[in-house]
Amino acid sequence: METVRLSVYRHDPSVEREGKYVDYDVPKEEGMVVLDAMKYIEKHIDPNISLRWNCSAGKCGSCSAEINHRPALMCKTRVDSLKEGKITVSPIAAYPLIKDVVTDVSENWALLKRIPKFTPKEGLEKPWKMSQVDIERSKEFKKCIECFLCQNVCHVIREHDTDYFGPRHVVKAASLDMHPLDALDRSEFMNRDAGLGYCNITKCCTEVCPEEIHITDNAIIPEKERAVNAQYDPLAMLIRSRRNRSGRK
Amino acid sequence: MKSANESSIRHLIPPEFLEPNWRFWSFVLITVLGTALLFMYRVPVYDGLTDPFYTPTILILPLVALFRVTCYAYRKDYHRHLFNHPNNCASDVRLDSKKRGYSGETGFFRVENVHRYFMYTAWGVLPFFYYDVYHSITYSGALTLSLGTIILAVNAIAVTIYTFSCHSVRHLIGGHKDCVNCPVSKNRKNSLYRFQSRLNGHHEAIAWTSLIMFVFVDLFIRGMVSGVIPNILLIHGRF
Repeated sequence: METVRLSVYRHDPSVEREGKYVDYDVPKEEGMVVLDAMKYIEKHIDPNISLRWNCSAGKCGSCSAEINHRPALMCKTRVDSLKEGKITVSPIAAYPLIKDVVTDVSENWALLKRIPKFTPKEGLEKPWKMSQVDIERSKEFKKCIECFLCQNVCHVIREHDTDYFGPRHVVKAASLDMHPLDALDRSEFMNRDAGLGYCNITKCCTEVCPEEIHITDNAIIPEKERAVNAQYDPLAMLIRSRRNRSGRK
Repeated sequence: MKSANESSIRHLIPPEFLEPNWRFWSFVLITVLGTALLFMYRVPVYDGLTDPFYTPTILILPLVALFRVTCYAYRKDYHRHLFNHPNNCASDVRLDSKKRGYSGETGFFRVENVHRYFMYTAWGVLPFFYYDVYHSITYSGALTLSLGTIILAVNAIAVTIYTFSCHSVRHLIGGHKDCVNCPVSKNRKNSLYRFQSRLNGHHEAIAWTSLIMFVFVDLFIRGMVSGVIPNILLIHGRF
């Protein structure tokens, strides 16, 4: 029977100082994804291995890992799509390790709470009405499954100690900012407090997004442009202050 | 965690400029040499064809260059391939590390936030490219259509598409609005914004096509001036 060799990062921080890669040979099946191979290891070879998964359908964002050093969902990465040879599976390195390929991403919940929440415009008649043309932009961001692969691949989060919230959180802010019935502009908060200026548009977040959200072009750059309006462009600032004075949004 | 303001003061000189990075410094060397050569070996108007680097004058080259340098498409490319921040998305070939300094667009590179002002400058330059096409057709007093005219026209169109597919234009023509159809009964479709957004999706490819085209036209006209390349005459007749 044809087999595939997986090299899985094994590390239990509660008992070991350093982790190591352990090789496992798994029978190859047609249409097999990396998660299938990992579940085979857990069921038949080493029940002590820790992995997190839920829907197995690319919709829950639980099985994020680095496969052959590229951030990806284990359930959406077919074994036959990877080049021949050993497949390396390691945890997403931007977050603290719990065990093996399971990491603690809970710091994101605290960051999400800091983004000003949806605030409806004053005087809206109920039921609220929105047209299709106005919900399109915001709707794209609702596809986010919070797998945090974009956060993991972002070099600002991973390699540099800054106050940048990360791409997932810019997507969240953009989805609220572009909501047709929302009254707030979060771009100034994102630039001043959430470190938006640290993003240098290298688009790795867009490359790895399993939901194919155009994170950089549709969320980060528009938020940056709005921040320019609020903080850097004297002409835009003048127009904005005049509009605010006359009560227009 | 550091505050953005603290970092901006500390990183007024970007850490990337202080690294012995052969990619960045060889790029600087090539750019300085290339610019010096453009100033030293100017191209005269030949057969009615004006070299795009010299229209309307080479003195505006720094402004046009700043439009490109602060462009979101090129930012990705040089932050990745010159500064290695990071060079690649894969974790084993990133060439970025925790040891390296980084200030992103909070310090020196904060200047990139005024991209839209360089864009306004670029708008001002665009008509000159079309005037050059017109001049190449009418310069002799007769209607002249040559290979050079077609190349100039394609270059003008490429620069125009590049300029108007910019992210700042996208923001200006609708990106800044949260609602174009409020109240719902207005029935506005936001067609221009949606069309420009489609174009903007290919901004990086358009940016590089236009830049390569620019250099190609320059080399083509220099080749003609030196007699290496003939300018093929397609149509020549009285008005």
